[in-house]
Amino acid sequence: MENRWIAYLIPPFIVTLLLVAGSQFVFIQNSFYQDLGLGRTGTDLTLVNYLKFFTDTFYLKTFWITIKVSAIAALLTLFLGFPIAYVVARMKSKLAMFLLAGIVVSTFVTIVIKVFGLIIIFSADGVINKTLLNLGLIERAYSIIGTQEGVVIGLMHFTIGFSVLLLYSVVVTVPPSLEYAAQIHGASRLRVYQRVIIPLCAPGFVVGGLMIFNMCMGAFTSAALLGGGRVLTLPVLVQRTVMMEVKYSTAASIAFVLLVSVILINLFSLIAIRRLRSARLVVA
Amino acid sequence: MKKYKKSLASLGLAFGFAFGFSSMAVAGQFDGVTLKVATWGGSWKANMEKIIVPKFEALGGKIEFVTGSPAANFAKLVAGRGRAPFDVMEVLDAQVGDFAQVDYLQPINLDLIPNKVNLQPFQYNETYVGSWNTQETICYNTEKFAELGLAAPKTYADLAAPALQDKVSLPDINSGAGLANFGGVIYAAGGDEKNIQPGLDLMKKINATKFWTRGGETKTQFESGDIYAAVVHAGWCTRAARAGSPVMTVHPEIKPGVKGLAKEGWLGIMKSSENVEAAHWFINEYLTTDFQYEYAINSGVFPLNQDAIEKMKTDEINAKLMELDPGAISSMLRLDYSKVDKTAWIDGWNKTLTTN
Amino acid sequence: MQTWTEKVILFVWCGFSYVFLLSPMVVVMGASLHGGEFSAAIKFPPDEPSFQWYSKIPTEQFEALALSLLVAAVATFIAALIAIPAALGLVRSNFKLKFAITSVFRAPLQIPAIVSGIAFLQLYYLIFDTSGLMLAGTIPGMLLGHVFIATPFLFGTIVAVLQRFDHRLEEASYSLGAGRWRTLYRVTLPTIMPGIYSGGLYAFMVSFADVPMSIFLTAPGFVTYPVELFYAMENDFDPSILASSSIVIVFCLAMLLVVQKVVGLETLLRSGGGSAR
Repeated sequence: MENRWIAYLIPPFIVTLLLVAGSQFVFIQNSFYQDLGLGRTGTDLTLVNYLKFFTDTFYLKTFWITIKVSAIAALLTLFLGFPIAYVVARMKSKLAMFLLAGIVVSTFVTIVIKVFGLIIIFSADGVINKTLLNLGLIERAYSIIGTQEGVVIGLMHFTIGFSVLLLYSVVVTVPPSLEYAAQIHGASRLRVYQRVIIPLCAPGFVVGGLMIFNMCMGAFTSAALLGGGRVLTLPVLVQRTVMMEVKYSTAASIAFVLLVSVILINLFSLIAIRRLRSARLVVA
Repeated sequence: MKKYKKSLASLGLAFGFAFGFSSMAVAGQFDGVTLKVATWGGSWKANMEKIIVPKFEALGGKIEFVTGSPAANFAKLVAGRGRAPFDVMEVLDAQVGDFAQVDYLQPINLDLIPNKVNLQPFQYNETYVGSWNTQETICYNTEKFAELGLAAPKTYADLAAPALQDKVSLPDINSGAGLANFGGVIYAAGGDEKNIQPGLDLMKKINATKFWTRGGETKTQFESGDIYAAVVHAGWCTRAARAGSPVMTVHPEIKPGVKGLAKEGWLGIMKSSENVEAAHWFINEYLTTDFQYEYAINSGVFPLNQDAIEKMKTDEINAKLMELDPGAISSMLRLDYSKVDKTAWIDGWNKTLTTN
Repeated sequence: MQTWTEKVILFVWCGFSYVFLLSPMVVVMGASLHGGEFSAAIKFPPDEPSFQWYSKIPTEQFEALALSLLVAAVATFIAALIAIPAALGLVRSNFKLKFAITSVFRAPLQIPAIVSGIAFLQLYYLIFDTSGLMLAGTIPGMLLGHVFIATPFLFGTIVAVLQRFDHRLEEASYSLGAGRWRTLYRVTLPTIMPGIYSGGLYAFMVSFADVPMSIFLTAPGFVTYPVELFYAMENDFDPSILASSSIVIVFCLAMLLVVQKVVGLETLLRSGGGSAR
């Protein structure tokens, strides 16, 4: 009986393994040959591409900026996503459906379109600048293109829909009855948040936050369009290295550093969550 | 000199006419041929669809356009080992060096391009036929400059004025005009192809916060008030002017005797092309006065066809924003891209001008 | 049992999030009604609303849209063919290396899309060099990449549904004399259908919206919609881009209504995009 099910698993597993291993192997291998430009590579295995990455301050700084904007974007996205997830999860009226519709649609609309919208909103005579100028809060129009804040805002738009969906699936695992129980025993709402909602959601938040961080680390479109050639992140650099300089091996080495760092951060997160969970079991 | 060119041009026109007739005579010459042309989208493609395509269709063929930037096309050609999904390609001057290192283009039979007589001899060779030039300029908003009490800029260094902070857009090194204009800045700062540091210092001093990758961005940003000045080819400025923006161009002073910067476009035929005759026909049509003029007006490039250049003078905005004097045009800076170490330029740029 | 202050805080907080989330799309739709001159600055709200730009959407954008829809639909279908047996096989069987197998199926979620793009491109060139078969810039090549990024979403949602699925239903079916295939067709598949729908929707939309991977797999003249938009500003940026974007936004809304009718949004959300767990 059991073996029959394994038979179902084998063909798709082989296909997926081939896709994963096949694609990753070629490009990783390519990154270990010296880049001679215009798609040509040296014949000997070497680490020069990686040495260049880790000895060149420009690449290291780009690496750091990628991590920084991704982390900030992930935190802010969680902060904006949580109330929606919580309210929708606890809502009993039909309105919840409309609220959900807004989120899901926004998730599906390609980020390029959202960036168009952002550019219009933040243009010099756009809504935000006009309001701030009229209120006297700023002296000259603020531009988001070419700034790290702009890239963060773009990344948030890329991930916020997903984050709400992720957080929603976390919040629904916390039964409302637990909240009532705590209140019946005299806990204030603040205390309910502190002692019930937040601790129970925390592991989910960590997982969700890391997923969003992953998405940001790999995000290209918003960073490219809002970075305006002035703020470069690793994905943007990969694309520029291929399209402008036509250096495939160099691009592959940058991409591999990105891949390994994302995987390491994921591994770290898994360990952290295990610890969190076991800590909670001990408390319970 | 001017007279000589003019008579040469009219001779060319006569030739072209004759050639046009002779090919008309063989209606069905290109029956079943689908010619694929790699060019930009938007107004570029629209011009060709309006003027060249009907003629080709009258001869029984079909033209498909493959739109994208020449740089992206080249990157994918390299990856595809030269296998091209198109027959004719627009090549930028900055790419000629790269193309020389690979073997993707086939020789052009200049006998099949009678309209070359409309061009000057240095504008065609066995691999390429020139298609257009651009005049790279400083485009600025005259009203805003007056408001800020600034005089018209003369050269790149004038863009460093504190009042212009956040209001200047320069071409990103990643854009089609990136290397050319960076070269202009380098020369203006006293450097050259091998000595780029002065240019980087000047760029740093200008402290632009916006870099465009698509010329169209600057037009939109002029209109929305996001920028007051941009280094961009005159065509974007004429287009902004035609749309009613109060803009004016300046051909920057680059060094004594050199004012302004020119960028050249070329056409090449892919080695993998099987429609060689049609490809030659297309390139020939590209050089007609009609097409070159239409192109110049709608896309803002500068024609190579001498008659089209004459005709430019009849258009008020062109006459105002573009340099139409042949002497001044030929003395514009043209970079020697064979001396440009692209990697070093991009490296220097990345380290100096990004926030990274 | 929420207090009044709490309600106000949540309301304001939520409101802010919603404005942040939705304003770019509202602005795009609004600005697409721009009625002014050809290249006058795009404004929101528009000065003299009109639908003029909707009739000026370039044909390439429709072609790209058609390509995107085709690729997304076929990629989702293939991904389902991979994910359904995989999920069934994984949940039902009993062996020790489940964790390892699962992580292979989920691997594409951990790989930045831009890395997948360049990886597939190089794989295709290797295949081209060895066999002369060119996949880059072709529909099969594009599909392979999209199946790669789409499968984990379906796999995730179906596994999630199967884990909640009551085994006894199948046993009951057997005991009533239904055969193996009949049971699969009549009992198992209908039960996991919500998972397939919601995972499929995610897979479709992830494929439909992808830029970073597709940008490497497109060829000149063979461009998906988001990549076409990404390149659109290369020339004249005009409100027809906003017009076609608005059509896509409306299309996404329509998809949503279909989903709501067929499976209900609740199911869609409960499976958390297949990626939550």
